[in-house]
Amino acid sequence: MKILKNISFLLALLFVISSCEKVLEFEPEGSNLEEEEALSTKNQLIALLNSTYSSTTGYMGGQFQSFNELLGDNVSQPANNNDLNEIYRHDVLFFNSTVKSGYNTPYAALLKVNRLLEVIDDFEFTSEEYDRITGECQFLRAMAHFELVKLFAQPYGYTTNNSHLGIAYKSSSQTDLLQRTPVGEVYSNIVADLKSAEALLPATNGIYATKMAATALLAKVYFQQGNYTDAAQKAGEVINSGLFSLGSDVDRFQQNVVLPEVIFYLQSYLAADGNAFFASGGYAGNYTYRPADGINVPTLRATREFYNIYSADTSDKRVGLYQVVNEGELNEFIACIKFNEDYFNVPLLHLTEMKLIRAESNAILGVELATAIQDVNDIRERAYGGNANNLPAGAGSASIITAVRFERRIEMFAEGDRIQDLKRRGAFEGENPVIRGDQWNCDGLILQFPISERSAIFPLNPNDGC
Amino acid sequence: MVKTSTLFSLLLILISYTSFSQVISGTIKDNAGLPLPGATVIIKEQAGVGASADANGNFVLKDFKPGKITLVFSFIGFQTKEVPVEIAASGSRNVDVQLAESDSELDEVVIVGYGVQRRSEVSGSIVKLDAKDITDMPAPSFENAIQGKAAGVQIITGSGLAGSGSVVRIRGNASISASGDPLYVVDNIPITQDYFINGNSGGMNTNPLATINPNDIESVEILKDASATAIYGSRGANGVILITTKRGKKGGLRFGFNTRVGMSQPTRLPDMLTGPEYLQLYEEAWVNDGNVGTPTFSFAPSLSWEEAQNNNTDWVDQTIGTGVKQFYDFNVQKGAEKYNFYIGGSYDRNESYLLNNSYTRLSGRINGNYRFSEKLKVGVSTSLSQGDNQRVDAAWSGGLGAAMSTALPIYPIYYDKDVYEADPGSPGDSVLAHQQGDYWLEAGIGNNPVAFADKKDWRVREIRSINSLNLLYAPTKRISFNVTGSYDYMKQTEDLFLAKELHGFSEIQNGIAIRTPRQIHNWNTFATGSYEFNLKENHNLTALVGGEYQQSQNQLSARKITNDEGRVEAVNYVLGVDEALYESGESVDFDTTFLEANKRFNFLSYFVRLNYNYQKKYFIQGVIRADGSSKFGPNKRYGYFPSLGVHWLVSNEDFFKKYKNLSYLKLKASYGYVGSAGIPPNRYRSVYYNANIGYGGQPETGPTNLENPNLQWESALNFDAGVEFGLYKDRITGNLTYYNKKSSDVFLEIGVPGYFGQSTLYANVAEILNEGVEFQITTRNLSKKLQWSTDFNIAYNYNEITSLGGYSEDAVSGGTNDTRTVVGYPVGTNFLVRFSHVDKETGAPVYIDKEGNETYKWDPDDRVAVGSVLPKAVGGINNTFRYQNWDLSFLVVFTMGGNIYDSSSKRQLGRVDEWNRTELIYDRWTEPGDDATYPRLTLDEANHGSTTPWINTDLYLHDASYARLRNVTLAYNLPSKTVKKLKLTSMRIGFVGTNLLTFTNYPGIDPEIARDFENPTDRNMSPNISFLTPPQEKTYSLTLNVTF
Repeated sequence: MKILKNISFLLALLFVISSCEKVLEFEPEGSNLEEEEALSTKNQLIALLNSTYSSTTGYMGGQFQSFNELLGDNVSQPANNNDLNEIYRHDVLFFNSTVKSGYNTPYAALLKVNRLLEVIDDFEFTSEEYDRITGECQFLRAMAHFELVKLFAQPYGYTTNNSHLGIAYKSSSQTDLLQRTPVGEVYSNIVADLKSAEALLPATNGIYATKMAATALLAKVYFQQGNYTDAAQKAGEVINSGLFSLGSDVDRFQQNVVLPEVIFYLQSYLAADGNAFFASGGYAGNYTYRPADGINVPTLRATREFYNIYSADTSDKRVGLYQVVNEGELNEFIACIKFNEDYFNVPLLHLTEMKLIRAESNAILGVELATAIQDVNDIRERAYGGNANNLPAGAGSASIITAVRFERRIEMFAEGDRIQDLKRRGAFEGENPVIRGDQWNCDGLILQFPISERSAIFPLNPNDGC
Repeated sequence: MVKTSTLFSLLLILISYTSFSQVISGTIKDNAGLPLPGATVIIKEQAGVGASADANGNFVLKDFKPGKITLVFSFIGFQTKEVPVEIAASGSRNVDVQLAESDSELDEVVIVGYGVQRRSEVSGSIVKLDAKDITDMPAPSFENAIQGKAAGVQIITGSGLAGSGSVVRIRGNASISASGDPLYVVDNIPITQDYFINGNSGGMNTNPLATINPNDIESVEILKDASATAIYGSRGANGVILITTKRGKKGGLRFGFNTRVGMSQPTRLPDMLTGPEYLQLYEEAWVNDGNVGTPTFSFAPSLSWEEAQNNNTDWVDQTIGTGVKQFYDFNVQKGAEKYNFYIGGSYDRNESYLLNNSYTRLSGRINGNYRFSEKLKVGVSTSLSQGDNQRVDAAWSGGLGAAMSTALPIYPIYYDKDVYEADPGSPGDSVLAHQQGDYWLEAGIGNNPVAFADKKDWRVREIRSINSLNLLYAPTKRISFNVTGSYDYMKQTEDLFLAKELHGFSEIQNGIAIRTPRQIHNWNTFATGSYEFNLKENHNLTALVGGEYQQSQNQLSARKITNDEGRVEAVNYVLGVDEALYESGESVDFDTTFLEANKRFNFLSYFVRLNYNYQKKYFIQGVIRADGSSKFGPNKRYGYFPSLGVHWLVSNEDFFKKYKNLSYLKLKASYGYVGSAGIPPNRYRSVYYNANIGYGGQPETGPTNLENPNLQWESALNFDAGVEFGLYKDRITGNLTYYNKKSSDVFLEIGVPGYFGQSTLYANVAEILNEGVEFQITTRNLSKKLQWSTDFNIAYNYNEITSLGGYSEDAVSGGTNDTRTVVGYPVGTNFLVRFSHVDKETGAPVYIDKEGNETYKWDPDDRVAVGSVLPKAVGGINNTFRYQNWDLSFLVVFTMGGNIYDSSSKRQLGRVDEWNRTELIYDRWTEPGDDATYPRLTLDEANHGSTTPWINTDLYLHDASYARLRNVTLAYNLPSKTVKKLKLTSMRIGFVGTNLLTFTNYPGIDPEIARDFENPTDRNMSPNISFLTPPQEKTYSLTLNVTF
């Protein structure tokens, strides 16, 4: 009996303990939620979409633009940054942690949009909301893939059928090992997404993607594909929409101001209550030159060669955005001072580029040359404050193309355009651009994937530079 | 707590006892006539009266009632002896006794999980270390003193930085991304043991064990095999370290006082180049590269060659000095029949050899037991300690690390004259820019370690309190229950002050103070019941059944601070102050909100242990524990961990008696399954972050990690077999053990492809084999007037990753060094491009590609497995000599095999740049025909066949073997006559030196390396990787131990 009593005491003790068994199940604490809770309302889905824009600022807030500039000839050797120096040297190793973090960010955005598109049907959105959200997802998905494929694969047109290796194309949130989708297929998916987005997106959408943003990005993609007819067509649609105008400001990286020419931008703000979101870190971190604050040597600085092309013409307002430091000395450099603010909006699509695309496309096609000349002159009149530098009315295709390229280089300095433009010219215009001794299509002119991507079905890029 | 305080006031009243003046004194010796220090004598009839023998075997018994009494003499390993004595009031007697050895001295009491066993009853592999082993040297934390004393336990002391964490590995390393550390259990409480509470800051991980006062420790038991550790289930696979704190021993009121005063120096200084030497080599590189004229520095544009020639700063000398160590410990104890207590307090100030770096521990402990009746006993343990770590930067973070790298000898500390610069406000005029004596900061403040240390004030203060209350209820002789509740609280407050030169907020004129408080609450409660079955004669069976619940919660407190414009500057900052918060006395409450929640985990467990033996000859132990944890995925919430241990006590057999020279023999084997759960919580599920205000001022949410609902514990299948022996009446004792541990489902934090959208995933994929042999022997070589005894242990371990679940060697993320996981190789394999030689004609480095061909190009695709950070064998040998009142001991610890990778060499000995070099660089190629170790100097990595400036090759991989004179102690025990005159019980004065000599072929500073780690993966894979790691310290101390 005694034993029995004791055993029952023991059992009672164990029972007390086991009654707390549910303690092993608890919700994450603080602001964290499990997916089931995190994506249970329409507003939460919209918050997921909003965070995709946030991820987009992670790579398009200046970082991918800087990677592109480093491959090209606009900037000189980066100061005190070995990861960026590898890009500059056209020989990125698979250990490059800056490239890795840059590469991962668009895929983080892709996971979000793909997951959103997978679950959106479980929610009762109005058809208007549904279209808008779907359109934004497709727009953001197209942008992520477009920016990735330009940096990590040889350009469209590198092979005639574009069967050369591209990137992992992500259209679902699955975590399966993937092959590298051929570049041609990546582009056709991008175009399909943008066409759909163009149809679904509204004309105005606050700071988020609009119909015109999709059209403008489509123009850019077609142009990169050497599809000049469609490029001119799409750029023309944006220009003719009447929603945008060039304005007079030559610096479109403005704090708290959106210039009338901006079609789509990433917003930075600092609210009165102290809340802030800076989209421009990728620029500010690389270009800022503020000796008063001890930032004496910016990482990225313009090359002398670039500066000399434009500096002779003192009427060019754009030259005022550059400052020669320590002129004539061994440690001379040219700072680009338009990124000196703590934060600013980052325009990704703007009317200037649309005009340049339309002008060059038309000139190459040999059609509507008068429109092309007008496009160039619109930009020149803004830059020089008058028509002294305008193209004459009867200018031919060749001089229009030369003029467009001249303006494009300075207008889009730091926007990551230059190297991709050279690659397009290499692929489609029968030119053979050489960048600091390296041919446009050599191995080192695309970035190496991080080593984490390597698998039996995912070969990395060649490892030997140019 | 009311209960506790009442109990202790009661105890204090009882201390003020009436005393008697009669005295019995004498000596306690063994049959060979050798004194038995620590042997005890009590009076059978008078509870609570007793004494213990001093180093010479002398005892003095006071404070007892006169009359007919029985003295009971006892000592572990010896037979108890009773001596009847009659003594009159105020009388005095001398009683000398000799105790016979008991069956075996291998029969001490051993703490096992949730109970105690006698050594002869233990089937598992358990090493027991007593208080003396823990306190015989000035260790910054108790585990450092274990080094070299326990077979199969590898301990790498944290670097010379005060307060840094050491690496402890039992029987090799079986974890990759989860913690590979053993489970630490203090007085039955699994304590908080996170080395990454503070991440890697300033080139150091803080040591969560450092607040434990080594002098409070009675014993440390290290459980190694499954039979011993399965009772800890999912947390036993890396071994378990049980720490038992002191309780009042039987006997009257006794006081103890221990002190130690000493000094600290680095084991060796880095040999950096002087200014002229650096300039000479820089110029050589400049010329080699085809440059002409006066060299210029790309990294210090404001410094001309001529100016550089005028400077020669010895930065190493500017960052180190001699540290002073002081330790004081005072304790009171008493053990009576109804109660016992131990009260101790200590102050331990450990300055390292780095200037302004110290760890000061102030600690107090009260342990007590009270017996209400034969059946009911209550026990309480409570400790409160404060660790105050005055921090300095080291390694990559600055300080000595800068002195060994970017703080070049050509940089001055101060301006040696006033400097004028052009006045931007008034062209043509100049203004005073720097006064003579100002810090020279033109190469950045980080490269002026003197200024850096001056402008930064850094303290990490830790409050730690470990408390438990237990109730023992034994309704009958056969049955007993134990209910214990405990609370382990840790609060770490990091205070940082950065002067204007350091904080980078241009609009703030003064400095900023940053406070980061972190708290960990760890609750634990368990209940056990044990029952001794009443079986037929010769059959003994005991059963233990228990349940346990543990919850741990980590909180990081934070508040937001805004500046004058209302803009949020940061969290936990106070802006525009001129000193650290703790110095200004400003009261800032940071404890209101918690920044980092989400770090809660709990365990719910049940366990059973059965012990059976037949005639105390054949023993069998079965253990099973079921562990549930919130860390595991819903599909794998509970794990079951069984083990079986058997042993045969051959020396208890009758036939054994004829082997006269063999005094003890035990054959044992165990087999079992244990787990490891050392991963952060919430890794099994996809968690979404949630921000109210994000892009565009709108809410944001998004996934933060990949889910894995199958996430579970790592498991290890352990086999252990061994023999324990005693020879020549136990003058020689020892053991030999073989083990084989197959770990599977080993956690990997997998660096998944970036296109998954999330960078890492926790999964149970790898398999690791650890197999080894441990040997330990203790011999009493001389036992006459001169006594000499030797302890020797060595453990050989073979470690191999047998599977990585198909992942590549680069798949594990988290390591910052060039060690990888490669199937067929040990955990932490150096994966490097091989360096062949320096081309004699050109001085260019020649590498070896994957196929084994020589090449001039360094390509990371040519990396191969070339070395291992794990040693083949570790061990120690201790010799103790005693002559009259003197004793002298030497402990030599050694490590055999394995490699050290000196990661700083890629810059100190590679491309010439803004890093200083070590003297080793003089073995470089200078002209055709040179047979040099290091290639021709250059400023351009292209000349070394690389596009990336700093390249890892096996040129910097070295043999890690070393032997070190870890501890040498010389002590004098005052003769009993003198001691008596001083009215003391014992007094001992000594000298202790640690790390005085090191024997190694390693060309770097110090071969014992536990660098700063980024995370548990790094900690598992990168011990023995050095990156500007400060050397260990060498100490000299004087000690005084008094009891009265």
